Amino acid sequence: MSLDFGLVALDIVSSWVRMVLAMGLSVVFALAVGIWAARSRRAEAIILPLLDIFQSIPILGFFPFVIAGIYGAIPNFVGANLAVIVLIFTSMSWNIAFGVYEAVKAIPQDYLDLLSVSRTTAWQRIRSLYIPASMSRVAYNTQISWAVGLFFLVASEIISIGQCTPASNCTNIPIPYGIGVGATNFPPASADYALLIGGIVVAVIIWRYLFLRAFALWSEKFKMMEEPREHHRDPITRFYSYVNHRAVSKLFLMAHDVGVSRFTSTISRFRKGLKYAVLIFLVFFGLLVFSSVSHSGGVNLGSAPSLSFIAQQEGGVLYALGVSFVRVWYVYGICVAIGLPMGIAISLNFKLYDTVSPILEVISSIPAPILLPAIVLIPVVGGMPEAVAAIVIILAIVWYIIFNVMAGVRTLPADMKELPSVYQVGRLSAWRNVYLPGALTGFVTGSITAIGGAWNALIIAEYFNPSGTPAGVLTQVGSGIGKTIVIATNNADYLTLTLAVVSMTVLIVSFNLLVWRRIYHHVTKRYTYNR
Amino acid sequence: MSEEQVQVASGSTIVTVDHVSLDYHKEKEPLPVLVDVSLKAAKDELVAITGPSGCGKSTLLRIIAGLIKPTSGRVFVLDSEVKEPRADVSMVFQNFVLLPWRTALENVLFGLSSRNDLSEEQKQQKAETALEIAGLAGFESVYPGELSGGMKQRVGVARALATDPQVMLLDEPFSSLDDLTAERLRKETHSILINPQTSVQTVILVSHNVEEIIELADQVVVLSGRPAHVVGDLKVDLPRPRNKKSDEFFQWVDKVYSLLS
Repeated sequence: MSLDFGLVALDIVSSWVRMVLAMGLSVVFALAVGIWAARSRRAEAIILPLLDIFQSIPILGFFPFVIAGIYGAIPNFVGANLAVIVLIFTSMSWNIAFGVYEAVKAIPQDYLDLLSVSRTTAWQRIRSLYIPASMSRVAYNTQISWAVGLFFLVASEIISIGQCTPASNCTNIPIPYGIGVGATNFPPASADYALLIGGIVVAVIIWRYLFLRAFALWSEKFKMMEEPREHHRDPITRFYSYVNHRAVSKLFLMAHDVGVSRFTSTISRFRKGLKYAVLIFLVFFGLLVFSSVSHSGGVNLGSAPSLSFIAQQEGGVLYALGVSFVRVWYVYGICVAIGLPMGIAISLNFKLYDTVSPILEVISSIPAPILLPAIVLIPVVGGMPEAVAAIVIILAIVWYIIFNVMAGVRTLPADMKELPSVYQVGRLSAWRNVYLPGALTGFVTGSITAIGGAWNALIIAEYFNPSGTPAGVLTQVGSGIGKTIVIATNNADYLTLTLAVVSMTVLIVSFNLLVWRRIYHHVTKRYTYNR
Repeated sequence: MSEEQVQVASGSTIVTVDHVSLDYHKEKEPLPVLVDVSLKAAKDELVAITGPSGCGKSTLLRIIAGLIKPTSGRVFVLDSEVKEPRADVSMVFQNFVLLPWRTALENVLFGLSSRNDLSEEQKQQKAETALEIAGLAGFESVYPGELSGGMKQRVGVARALATDPQVMLLDEPFSSLDDLTAERLRKETHSILINPQTSVQTVILVSHNVEEIIELADQVVVLSGRPAHVVGDLKVDLPRPRNKKSDEFFQWVDKVYSLLS
């Protein structure tokens, strides 16, 4: 058994190059769009809802269209890589753009007045004020975006190279190297696969501590305002307490003009801009579907499918969607059972927090899909596709709950944590009355993000049949929307694919609007700690 | 309020802080915070602790409360050593520290939740009485978010009173309030706390506001900057009610300021 160091290194380097390109693109995009939205009311009215739509939909479901569209137009190495980079870009740019927007919005009026008085040009303002003022937020959001991006990188590499389905011939798109490619092509039990996982862990650690952390520390000097409490300075707490109100879609705040006061003036404009944003999105999606179908040879265009055929397909899609819905929720339940107590317990103990949180940060950055072949190898569990899918989804989303809960508890005032001991309240009562309610806002935010992540993770977790394992399907659940999407993608069955993606999006968005928004509103009203 | 209240003669010592020192350990290098601090708080008196900001006043209060263990020295309340937070010592916090998800009454009840000797009705009764003494009758079912700063702090006071403490610790209780509200609550402090209706025997107040201290305190302990040690322990013998515009009042304020600088 010889180890192929060269190949593994090439995999990691290729993926990192894609990530860095996507990250650079995201930062440039975020600065442009974020500054524009913050400084122009008209731009703000369209940009915010548009970013919000991208944040609320299961992006990975749209990826088959992106790859078919881009690869169809540029059918070579460049096109395939471009599709992957576009997906990573989509997964991380909105988050950084929101950060830039908020940072520029938060610049004190005095500074703006100063620049007006000294008659600076627009470009001078951007260079001397807006960009430096955004730097710290860009740096911190980049740390989290990197982990999210890695997940999408691996997922998109896996989807790009294609999977074998009964009707397809494992037609591969030329992405020869990448960590997702490696995980697919190396046999699961091989030493090369183990080496790849080890290499990714090392790369994640080096990258996080040598580059991202250094960038964050460097950006500190651009901070405009003092931050009061020292314990807010660690990145997890800082990031998630920034995000607490914002990561949750602004759709949530729409019906109630309460929540974050800073946004209330924006909300009416947001509401006005939303319909245009939806329209822009639909046009965009239509073009994507059209270009996918036309590039696939337009086979289905000549003979339009009958209505009853569409209805029959949609029936199958809805059934799969129902199964996945149940799957998402029971897996979420497991994540809550693990993440909520763990998050609270860790943040209550300072020593534990300092030791454990960097470890959790690293583990959470390892993209879950890459571990799928290893999970399949676990005795008993590996043979149960349902369990495999559940574990992959848990590894992808449990962090959102842990980190948001940790940030929630850590941002509770220090004297709130003294309260139970001052009144000699028992541990059980302290958890029930102080810590659990105190963590609730963070928990709900984390839950919304986690459920969103679970829908994305399904697409990898439910069906995995890489070309590297000719022995047959590695794992597949009985039914599920992720499985439907993957099989439709590989069969170039754009009708089913469109039905599946649209149905899933409609379900997620309406669930957010009807259920989560109410919960979020109640919780932020009653369970947020304001002095 | 308390039936088994310990009978102690006025003027006798309730709280003794006996040569307390505290070091923080930063990278194994001990960093002294408090050096050899001693003080006594007598029955029916309000003792104020003051000092430059960040000197460790609140830390000293937390040592008296049993929340922080001193590196050396001991604290006694009514002749028994303080080793952990105890039922006969209550605390009012600078930032109120009310649970936003519980009503005013439920917040006061939370302070009583460890009292297994009381029935639910007795707890309810105690909590209502405490809210009444603190001037909040009629606000039982209001959530903290709907209360003004001054009323929030009254809930904090009621929660501390409800447990029938012998010792009441006040940690900058007025400094999160606006001037007018603070003024009003300050005026009532003495009558709310040192009052035969309550069990409180002595009050220890931490504050950086010198006028506030001269207005309220019977005794002032002045700490120096880091590491903190006692640079003055004075009996304020001004008659009550104190006239904040009188010359004597200003002389006292000056006296404390000169110790602080």
